[in-house]
Amino acid sequence: MKLTTILAASIALAPVAAMAESKGKVEGIHHWVSESEVKALKVITDKLATKGYTWEDSAVGGLSGANALQALRTRLAAGNPPATMQFLGYEGLDWGKQGVLRSLNDLYTKNGWDKALAPQLLAFVKNGDDFISVPINMHRQNWLWANKAVFDKAGVKEPKSWDELIADGEKLRAAGAIPLAMGDESWQILEVFEAILVDVNGPEFYKKAVIDLDEGALSSPEMIATFDRLRKVRGLVDDGFTGRDWAVATGMVADGKAAMQVMGDWAKGEFLAKGLKPGVDFLCFPTPTDKPNFKFVIDAFGMFKVDDAVTTAGQDAWAESIMDPEVQKQFNLIKGSIPARSDVSVDSFDDCAKRSYADREAAVKNGAMLGGLTEGFAAQPQFAGVFTDVVGKFFVTDMSSKDAVQALVDGINNAR
Amino acid sequence: MSPKNKLDLWLPRLVLSPSLLAVLIAVYLFIVWTAWISLSSSQMVPKFDFVGVEQYVRLWSTPRWHTAVANLFIFTALFLTITIALGLFLAILLDQKVRAEGFLRAVYLYPMALSFIVTGTAWKWILNPDLGLQKVINELGWTGFVFDWITQPSFAIYCVVIAAVWQSTGFAMAIFLAGLRAIDTSIIKAAQIEGASLPRIYLNVIVPMLRPAFLSVIVLLSYISIKSFDLVLALTNAGPGSATEMPSTFMFAATFRRNQMGVGAASAIMMLMTVAAIIVPYLYSELREDRNAH
Repeated sequence: MKLTTILAASIALAPVAAMAESKGKVEGIHHWVSESEVKALKVITDKLATKGYTWEDSAVGGLSGANALQALRTRLAAGNPPATMQFLGYEGLDWGKQGVLRSLNDLYTKNGWDKALAPQLLAFVKNGDDFISVPINMHRQNWLWANKAVFDKAGVKEPKSWDELIADGEKLRAAGAIPLAMGDESWQILEVFEAILVDVNGPEFYKKAVIDLDEGALSSPEMIATFDRLRKVRGLVDDGFTGRDWAVATGMVADGKAAMQVMGDWAKGEFLAKGLKPGVDFLCFPTPTDKPNFKFVIDAFGMFKVDDAVTTAGQDAWAESIMDPEVQKQFNLIKGSIPARSDVSVDSFDDCAKRSYADREAAVKNGAMLGGLTEGFAAQPQFAGVFTDVVGKFFVTDMSSKDAVQALVDGINNAR
Repeated sequence: MSPKNKLDLWLPRLVLSPSLLAVLIAVYLFIVWTAWISLSSSQMVPKFDFVGVEQYVRLWSTPRWHTAVANLFIFTALFLTITIALGLFLAILLDQKVRAEGFLRAVYLYPMALSFIVTGTAWKWILNPDLGLQKVINELGWTGFVFDWITQPSFAIYCVVIAAVWQSTGFAMAIFLAGLRAIDTSIIKAAQIEGASLPRIYLNVIVPMLRPAFLSVIVLLSYISIKSFDLVLALTNAGPGSATEMPSTFMFAATFRRNQMGVGAASAIMMLMTVAAIIVPYLYSELREDRNAH
């Protein structure tokens, strides 16, 4: 790989982190820094310890992993990659194409891991013929979280379509609650947009428009109608949504100030942290649709090519720790997601996770397993960024749906 | 030449060379490198091919970049004008031999000691209609009071201006105050004897004498406004809907989050050219004056 020696020179001046690998260490870059994330990670590193290797933590938090990626670029340029790194979305595949990741084919074959994973998920851990990463968890992105007391008071039940959800908004408002809690950050808006997009138009349309970036689908009347619905959803949100963090919005639902939130199941941790119980205090259901789908987000760890055998053996131990069924179970009980392996039982999980698990099974069969656009599992970052820009702008201005679709098509073509 | 003279000749060069080398590599070499990247097809990692000005074309067809450039001009113009006007006004007031001047000076200077992250976060809350200023005034009884600029894409950039002005006014004041103190009081007395009114003395005599102070303030504030990255990130995170995007936040997003390193490099070069357009004439005029003085 022809990375610049200039970058390397600049790094040589910076204080060098402990470079000497002592025997039996596995060093990893990741961006798990919140309390529950750190606890969950410890499940894997404890397992690694039983295999005789110590974990060397290189957490780089912030900006949804953008800081961690920057750290990785620097390390690679200096010829000093970590043993392993956490990847979201296309990141792992992109690095795989740069030829810096180790093929894990022998491990996959030996342990039969490929059979334990959903085929749609394999697309993100396999670059060409090579397996390049191991997934630890699977979050479901298209969830609707609701406060049960507020729903009961307004006489509202689980909505079955987005139009029903929008109509329910009025009843919830009459009951004194903000119908939908969210912030004006573009990614939060995109979560709602992509949920409407697939729920109303179906998985096939989503694949065409978002994954294949087909210009016909992008400029279709269905797309305009999706923006129209998003405009209606804007009416369910209060005016104080400026700069509101997603977790603050979750807190509003937990406190009964707001009725619902559209968010991935990482929101569940916020409810649980307040001592609330699923089904009793808060409700979880998939975003309303008659075309069931499962939008996934996974965290996977890739292994970098290194020359020394000790580190390579450590990487093997790390991969085996991650793919250990019991580790997958314990990790996800803490993290709020479900095991990436489809063959790990979720009997001890809560109802939301069980529903997630059952829906995943159905979605795998129906071909309705889709990567989440917001988290980078549907389109490359330069294209996902265009969606973020247009949808974010549309929501906070009075842009027309037609203009939004035009901006989307132009932006995607410009980024191609 | 005696050994001592030789040492005298070489010592300054020897001492200066490490920093010169560091600047050459860390600044100028990377400018060249960035320019090179901006002409390549680099996406996730640098690539060293040549695609001409393709990335610049792409950059200028991105609506978000247009917003960023427009914002930079709005922000810089307002930020400079208001900060300089307020700073000068405060400096003149403080120069009237008021009591407790030291205390007041410290009060105005304190915001400068904060990082832009703190300023941005604090103002984010102050400007939020449901938490800050609007709520307080509504609760005091004026229920019709509305101040929700930060929620409106077409006004949010002015919120960034407000926070930046708040932070930097004290700094401008301090420099102007130093300038005012350096002016010979006999000049003011002479003007008074001539019968000039106080406003007139300031406008026609003192302010023109503050020219060096003006130049320092303008240069320092311009560079604050070009690199205004942390403030925007903390205050609005470039929102609502990328309405407060700045060239610096655009560059970061393109390079590190969107795998568009070539576009990011192109935007960095555009920023460099903007700064150069301001700084080069300034340096030129300063250096020329230096030569004249000798």
